[in-house]
Amino acid sequence: MHEATSREIDELLHAVDRDGAILETRTLAEAPVSRARLLGLALAGTGTALLAHVGPANAAPPLAASDIAILNYALVLEYLQSSFYTEAERSGALTGKTAEAARVVGAVERAHVTAFLKLLGSNAVKRPLFDFQGTTEQQKPFLKTAVAFEDLAVAAYKGQAPKLKSKPVLAAAVGIHSVEARHAAWMRELFGITPAVNAFDQPASREKIERVVASTHFIVARPRTTRKRKPKYTG
Amino acid sequence: MKLGVCLALAVAAVASLTSFRTFFDPGKHRAQAPSFDRAEALPAAPRPALRIGRPEPLGSGRYLTRWSVVRTSTPARAGPRPDAPIVTTLATLTPDDTRNALTVLDARTDTSGSLWIRVGLPILPNGSTGWVRRSTLGAYQTTDERLVIDRPRLLATLYRNGRRIFQAPVGIGTDSWPTPSGEFLVRSELTRYASPFYGPVAFGTSARSAVLTDWPGGGFVGIHGTSEPGLIPGRISHGCVRLRNRDILRLASLMPVGTPLTIE
Repeated sequence: MHEATSREIDELLHAVDRDGAILETRTLAEAPVSRARLLGLALAGTGTALLAHVGPANAAPPLAASDIAILNYALVLEYLQSSFYTEAERSGALTGKTAEAARVVGAVERAHVTAFLKLLGSNAVKRPLFDFQGTTEQQKPFLKTAVAFEDLAVAAYKGQAPKLKSKPVLAAAVGIHSVEARHAAWMRELFGITPAVNAFDQPASREKIERVVASTHFIVARPRTTRKRKPKYTG
Repeated sequence: MKLGVCLALAVAAVASLTSFRTFFDPGKHRAQAPSFDRAEALPAAPRPALRIGRPEPLGSGRYLTRWSVVRTSTPARAGPRPDAPIVTTLATLTPDDTRNALTVLDARTDTSGSLWIRVGLPILPNGSTGWVRRSTLGAYQTTDERLVIDRPRLLATLYRNGRRIFQAPVGIGTDSWPTPSGEFLVRSELTRYASPFYGPVAFGTSARSAVLTDWPGGGFVGIHGTSEPGLIPGRISHGCVRLRNRDILRLASLMPVGTPLTIE
C-alpha cells in the first residue's frame, strides 16, 4: 500500500473539463459575487440564471446568489461522478467488489444529482457531456479515476462549505461531504491505498483545483451533428 | 512530633471522607461534572436544504444503445489488435460536414492492455463493422429511441423504451434503386436549406445505396421530407426514405441524432 500524493491525484485527473465547465462554475462560486456580475455572467451564457432573489424550487427562503453558484459547482461534480459510475456499470466490464462498489456508489451519486436539481430548479446548470476515454471499461483505470473523483469531491465540498451563507444548505453539504468521504475511503481500499491516514484534511485551494481542472479533459463539447445545408442524399 | 502526626492523620481522614461523600452523592456529583443537559440550551440544528432521496439503481437499459463520434481519423481494423487488416479509414467528418457518428457495439482489451471498440461502419457492404482504439473515439452517448422502417408495409415507426411514439407512411426506393436493409445509425440532421425536394428536415444515416455508388456525397440514404406528398406511401425514391413534411417535422421533434435505425 502507498499513500496517494497530490501529484498522483492530479495525474489521475488528467482529462476532466476539456471545455472548462468545472472551471467556469468554480470561478463563479469563488468570485466575489455582485448582482451586476452575476447578471453579466448569466447574460454571457453561463446557463445559470443567478438572480439574487430567485428562490429554489421547493424552499420558502430564497438562496443567496453565491450559494446558488456554489450549489451549481457541486452539481457539476455530482454530474461528473454519477455519469462516471453509470457508464461504468453499463459497460459491464467491472467485476467482483469493484462492480458492486460502482453499482452502490453510482446509485447514491444519482440521488445527489436528483436532490440538487430539485433544489436549484430552473437555476440548475445542464448536464455536460463527459468523455471518460475508456476509464469506465477497464478495472484498474476505473479505480484510479474513482479515487481521484472521490478525493476531488471531498476536497471541493470542504473548500466551499465555509463560504455558504445558508445554514440549511451548509447542513446538507456537510451531510453529502461525509458520504463522499466514505466513497473515497471505499475506492481507496479497493485500489489498494490507505483509506485514511491524515489527522486533518486540508480543503483544496482554489489554485490547486484550477490547476487540476486546467489539466483535465473529461468534460467535452457536444459534437456537432446538425447543419444548415442542402443534403446530398440519394433522394 | 507525635501530636503533629496525629493531627495530620486526622486532617487527611476528614478530607478523604469529604471526597468520599462527594463522590457518592449523586446530586452533588451531577452538579459538578460536565453535563449533556447543557446541550438543551443549544439551538436546534437547521433542517438540511437538500432532501437526498433513496439511492437510484440503474434501470435495465434494455432499449439503450451507445454511439460516439470519431475524434481523430483512424483505421478501422478487422480485429481488436494493431496488426489486424484495415477495413477502412474513418474520417472525423461526414459528407454533411457533421461529426462522424458511429454505433458502439463491443469492447475488447488487447494483450498490451489497449482498449478496442467495435463500431458499425458507414461503408459498403452495409452492415460492416470494424475495431478502433478507444482513444480515437469521443464521448459515449446513449439513446433509448429506435427507428424502424418497414419496407413491406411502407411505414416508419419510432420507439422509445420499446414503446411506439410515432408512426407515419413512407416512400422508399424503387426496385431499381432499393432502400437497403440492415442495422444503421441516424448520424446527422440538416435543416434550413432551400430545397423543396428534400422538405424542411433531412436526416443523414449510415446506410448506403449499393446501386448509386457514384452519387455525390457517397450515395448515403437519407430520411427527409418531400415536395410530392401525393406519392407517399409508395416505392418512389432512389433509396432514401421520404415522409410527408408534417410527418418529418414531427419525427424531428422526437428523434435525436444517434438513434439506431433498422430497415427491414
